[in-house]
Amino acid sequence: MSAYANILLGGVFHAAVLFLVAAGLQLVFGVQKIVNLACGSFYALGAYFGITLIGYANQYGLSPWLLLPGLLVAGLVVGLVGLPIERLLRSVYGRDESFQLLLTFALLLMFQDVFRFFWGPNPRTLDSGYLIYGTISAGDLSVPVYNLLVIAAAILAAIGVGGFLQRTNYGRILRATAENRAMAEALGVDVRRVYALVFTAGTILGTTAGALIVPTAAASLDMAIEFVIEAFAVVVIGGLGSMRGALAGALVVGLIRAVSITVFPELEVLSIYVIVIAVLLIRPAGLFGTQTG
Amino acid sequence: MAISRRTLLRSATAAGALMAAGQIFAPDQVSAPAIAQNKPLRIGILAPRSGIAAGPGENGIRATQWAADRFNRDGGIAGRKVELVIEEETSPKDTIERFSKLVQQEKVDCTMGIISTGVGLALGPVVEEARALTIYWDGTTQDGVDEKIPNPRYLFRSTDNECEAIMSSLLAIKHWKGQFVTIAGINPDYSYGRNNMAAFVALLKRFNIDHKVVTEQWPKVGTMDLTSHVAALKAAKPDLIFSSLLFADLPVFMKQAHAAELTKGTKLVFPAAGWQHTLMKKEFTPEGMLFGHNTLYFANPNASPLAKEFVSWYESTHKDYPNWEADRAYFAIASYKAAVEKAAKAKGGAWPTQDDVIGAIEGLQIDSLGGKGGWRKDHIADQTFVQGFTTHDNKYDFVTLGSFESMYSTDLQKPGGANFWEWIKTAEFKV
Repeated sequence: MSAYANILLGGVFHAAVLFLVAAGLQLVFGVQKIVNLACGSFYALGAYFGITLIGYANQYGLSPWLLLPGLLVAGLVVGLVGLPIERLLRSVYGRDESFQLLLTFALLLMFQDVFRFFWGPNPRTLDSGYLIYGTISAGDLSVPVYNLLVIAAAILAAIGVGGFLQRTNYGRILRATAENRAMAEALGVDVRRVYALVFTAGTILGTTAGALIVPTAAASLDMAIEFVIEAFAVVVIGGLGSMRGALAGALVVGLIRAVSITVFPELEVLSIYVIVIAVLLIRPAGLFGTQTG
Repeated sequence: MAISRRTLLRSATAAGALMAAGQIFAPDQVSAPAIAQNKPLRIGILAPRSGIAAGPGENGIRATQWAADRFNRDGGIAGRKVELVIEEETSPKDTIERFSKLVQQEKVDCTMGIISTGVGLALGPVVEEARALTIYWDGTTQDGVDEKIPNPRYLFRSTDNECEAIMSSLLAIKHWKGQFVTIAGINPDYSYGRNNMAAFVALLKRFNIDHKVVTEQWPKVGTMDLTSHVAALKAAKPDLIFSSLLFADLPVFMKQAHAAELTKGTKLVFPAAGWQHTLMKKEFTPEGMLFGHNTLYFANPNASPLAKEFVSWYESTHKDYPNWEADRAYFAIASYKAAVEKAAKAKGGAWPTQDDVIGAIEGLQIDSLGGKGGWRKDHIADQTFVQGFTTHDNKYDFVTLGSFESMYSTDLQKPGGANFWEWIKTAEFKV
């Protein structure tokens, strides 16, 4: 029984991180209609910056217990890089999707060199801290509390973003802009500001996911490209532009992956993309997406 | 006697010529003709500088630069200064284009590098076609374990990638025989990982070790979340885990395995862990795991003065400690130097042709950073391998080896032309 719990929790942990990145992707697409391939770079940026910030903080005597808040701060601060990047993206608003894809893909590649320049080619890790919050053990079940905190952070982010979009005035403005940009603009919405805010929020979700993962993983030059592929699988399953879709898609990918790794390790990747293909064939808009055209 | 200005100049020229000739033809010294000495010897380097193998690539480049600077301080290679032309190893297609650029445009005298097996396999035939002397650091020209270029003329390549798995398997059998039955594997999902795991199982069979494979995990190279793999391994409850993970995913696995208490009481056999040795922190890497440093163990107390000098330079210059790719790179450039000088000496000081150098590499023995090494007639390297058991008893924040053993690749590598799997069944292993 505890073996199944371990497998389940492994899948949910993976889903939690995937959700944060995919949520940023969905938010940006939902409002700005931009498929942001650079979302993986924001994830990697959060990871690298998180390692650096915690490294400095440790030198200045930061209590190890403040690891999680420290990483959240790192994700939030470095996520502000979304503001200047959104300025850059303005040149492709309203243009053919291929321009947006090319520009965000160029950003993805450029970020790889930025990471190499600042952090070097070797993978970077946080030397300690993963187990600072302890481990919950029961029989064969053994889960680091940190993993549970990351899952909790993702749940809070889902509730927070959902609540913001559904229950606040600004959320309504965002949804109105997503529905009809021209009408929103005619009604006095500062669309430029909305776009800047949305893109930065999407970036922060990605950088926070990256920062949160570093105690358990490593920051490496390839992590951006690696993760963006899975994030798009989540988006296809959940439906492009849907936050609920991001949550459902992340859970499907995380759990299917965990089960296939245990039962048929050879089919780890295949099992995810079988689901992707099935969704594309049966429900092309995704589980929670809206059919267009 | 009155000496005219013209006579003085003539005498000085003649004396200079005699001195130069004396240097060229001095029996104990190898020196190249003046025309060759004026032109630097150009060595092309193809090494990864980004992506998952960027770290080892950087190790190799640094070692090559260190060696080249050292050679240049002592007069270069056979009197010619060494100049490096560095290009990046990426995909097979792009690397082949860069190799062609090095050979045709940069006119390099020799090319070295290559870490990826996929690139090495694709580049091999191109090297032969270009007739350009090339020495691989790592990688191979094998598809699986089948040699695709059995008798190359211009290509020299590293030891078989399976050497470290053979050594680990032998050591695991030697030290832990009877202490494990259920085994699990977590290996990178490409030929290296697959062959290493298969070699381990084949050796267990060869030595009649009662065993049962309870799970085999094949994460994609570079997978950064291995919690599900760890959960699957834990569910299988193995006595021993064999893993040839070697990229950034290795420390991630150790961290996550440690957090899930998978490493507690499980025997760990990690033949390639030395590629990421400085990331294998004590906090999550247990003592007593079987840990491979391949052909360079930076803290080897029995290392040569040359190796100690290199490690010390590496530490002070780069605030880091080298892994085996540094040794492979040094081995390549030191082999080339030794071969050029041997061939030049054989020609009485005249600059050797490429064919002369190739002939001189065959059968060459040199001292590399990690120990003795040499070249077989079929252009495959022999080198010294180091593996042992991890300890926390050191001044670093990562694990080193407590007890360790060295083995020469003649005891770990199939002979030329042999089938790897058949060789495992019949070879005389020194366990």
